[in-house]
Amino acid sequence: MPVDINIIKSLNFFKDFSHADLEEIAPLIDQIRTTEGERITCRGCHADTFFIIFSGNFMISFKHDRSYTLHDRGDIIGLSTLIMPFAYTGTAVALTEGAVLSMPGEELLRIIQSNSELGEKIMKKINEIVEKRMPFVTGRC
Amino acid sequence: MYGLDAISANNGWQLAALGISIVFAGLIVLSFSISQIHRVLEFFDKSSGFSQRIKKAGREKNISEPDVADSPLPAGIKESAFQFKLLIKHIGEPFSLPELIDFSKKCGLLHSHLRINDLLQTNLIIPDGKGYFLWNYEVEKTLRLFDERGE
Repeated sequence: MPVDINIIKSLNFFKDFSHADLEEIAPLIDQIRTTEGERITCRGCHADTFFIIFSGNFMISFKHDRSYTLHDRGDIIGLSTLIMPFAYTGTAVALTEGAVLSMPGEELLRIIQSNSELGEKIMKKINEIVEKRMPFVTGRC
Repeated sequence: MYGLDAISANNGWQLAALGISIVFAGLIVLSFSISQIHRVLEFFDKSSGFSQRIKKAGREKNISEPDVADSPLPAGIKESAFQFKLLIKHIGEPFSLPELIDFSKKCGLLHSHLRINDLLQTNLIIPDGKGYFLWNYEVEKTLRLFDERGE
């Protein structure tokens, strides 16, 4: 289901993006409903979809059963979609019913490569999140 | 006299042209009015402070809506807390959330994800900052979930 541009703008991840940026990104975004216990990503699988939490609660688990939970609208799942080797580092599971906004990784990468300014904004946001989450992935908390 | 002669003799062509002109002129005026409606609304909006009233009403509504933190405890939290505390005692602390979910499923508990989320939301389960989780005895005491015997 396509998502309204105002809804996208209300998400923390996109708050610094211009209207033109969002107009370029909006057609890529679909809203998907999730159910309790549903697996959104699996560790080691090819990372082909980038997710933004719209509603609901999620858990991401890593090696040695380390995990963290995400409860806020705008939180990101599937950062590996934009990072080599494009394989999910964690398994994301819905703890409750909810909804996520999904973006095909290839399309997102195409935008990043074709629009350097927008690409820089996206990658800056991604790097900030990766920095916070990396300890959970590597186990060096 | 009939047909086209009669139309010409009674100024039929002129009347038809006048009628068409009136209709088209009306449509032009109507379309122009519709295209300018947003300006009229904007004017009223600014002059009457309508938007401010709407915003204020929205704010008041937000204030009156209870915050999640202030809302009552999730249904069945006492039962969930009792069951999951036993499971956590069994697997030891700090514990892994996926392990707790798996273990609870093996024990036949229904809606494990949902119930663990309730425990997370009420801070009965808290992260240790290293990817594992702990039972929060302080919150357990504050919420007075169990009696003196811990049941």
